[in-house]
Amino acid sequence: MNEQEILEQVRSALAQIKVAGAETATMESSWADLDVDSLDLVEVVRILEDHFGIEIVDEKLDGVATVGDAVRLVEDISQEGATA
Amino acid sequence: MSVDVVVTGRGVISSIGESADAFYDALLERRSGIADGVAPCSAFDPESAMTAKEARRLDRFAQFAIAASDQAVAEAGLLESGIEPERIGVVIGTGVGGLETLERNCLAFLQEGERAVSPLFVPMMMPNAAAGMVAMRIGAHGPGFSVASACATGGHAIGEAKRMIERGEADVVVAGGAEAALTPVCLAAFKAMGALSKQGISRPFDARRDGFVMGEGAGVLVLERSDHARARGATLYGRIAGYAASNDAFHITQPETNGRGAMQAMRGALADAGARPVDVGYVNAHGTSTPFNDRIETLVMHGIWNGDAPPISSTKSAIGHLLGAAGAVEAVATLCALQREVLPPTLNYEQPDPDCDLDYVPEGPREVGGIELALSNSFGFGGQNACLAVARA
Repeated sequence: MNEQEILEQVRSALAQIKVAGAETATMESSWADLDVDSLDLVEVVRILEDHFGIEIVDEKLDGVATVGDAVRLVEDISQEGATA
Repeated sequence: MSVDVVVTGRGVISSIGESADAFYDALLERRSGIADGVAPCSAFDPESAMTAKEARRLDRFAQFAIAASDQAVAEAGLLESGIEPERIGVVIGTGVGGLETLERNCLAFLQEGERAVSPLFVPMMMPNAAAGMVAMRIGAHGPGFSVASACATGGHAIGEAKRMIERGEADVVVAGGAEAALTPVCLAAFKAMGALSKQGISRPFDARRDGFVMGEGAGVLVLERSDHARARGATLYGRIAGYAASNDAFHITQPETNGRGAMQAMRGALADAGARPVDVGYVNAHGTSTPFNDRIETLVMHGIWNGDAPPISSTKSAIGHLLGAAGAVEAVATLCALQREVLPPTLNYEQPDPDCDLDYVPEGPREVGGIELALSNSFGFGGQNACLAVARA
């Protein structure tokens, strides 16, 4: 699974919760740019967890402030799972 | 009280019209929003009033409240008026809150477990969501909360907002009620109580009435201190001249047999307005179409007017019972009746009941001249009553 595939899934998750500009979000787009708040983030995380079959614990979300941060987090957790 | 409270903006979401004037036009055209025993706001499109994301994060009752308050705030020119945010309050009530959200999440929890419960559940369901969202939307930093007194909620919200202005806590209060309870569980519950019309017909005061028809929607008013409104040249749509509330202290769902609580609220609203019964030209009834309410409301009218009661009609005959929104939408109807000098009809009134022998304006709309004062009645489950005395501006 490459970065582009994960980015598409993050965009898809944002679109599912009707975030304006979800489809055109880039790795650099911040939650603030997208008007994504903590409640939105909980929903995005659940959608990503279900899609990738992973668990994203709350502590891992500290410092996740952009779409790129989320993509890299999913990538890291997926790889940890694969090597475990 | 020396402080006059006027209405400078009105908003309505109903099954027969979305704006105060569209709603009142429809009432005068004798249009009914009732089909198959319910009166849904079928034409309502939340995304006409808010973004898709905002709509998704709000229960339907709060969507109604936002849409109605947008209308009222725009009509009042509130956002362009330069009023200090700290002087604007918001009091918007609901009878039952985000019931659709509650049912959906309960079902998800039972079927799929804890993880299926939405993080938006609480902020969508809570009864004060509408008042909070409206305050956020207009930047109102004054006092704000929701009111819950079942079917009297809208009346209490407007009355308490009036008091807030009289006490000097705010110059402007956005006030009203919103309800979206046409859910399977809620309909089943009212049906189980025997409160709903088995025939699916709202015919207040008619001998064949057999219960109410549930509707949904919202009514919101911008209330404002009179001198404040006049100084900024706002259009005045009427005055909330009096308000009183009371408890039946009798039964959780049945109105008191002799109507003591309702009468106390109506007399109290008149006293608060400094008016006498003879000054009243019209009463907008609670008029639910239940056997109990309509008989007792009639009895109370006789008690106050002693054979010389003014015309009384029921808005619920056209849009059903909006529970927590009813009093607010009906306050708008009462304001429009005074402003236009035309009384709205009671629809479906055909067979007189010997216990209901007043002038219910069945043939209406009826043009009337020179009415200055009207009452709007709201009597809630729990035995909680509110009455507003509404005057021409």
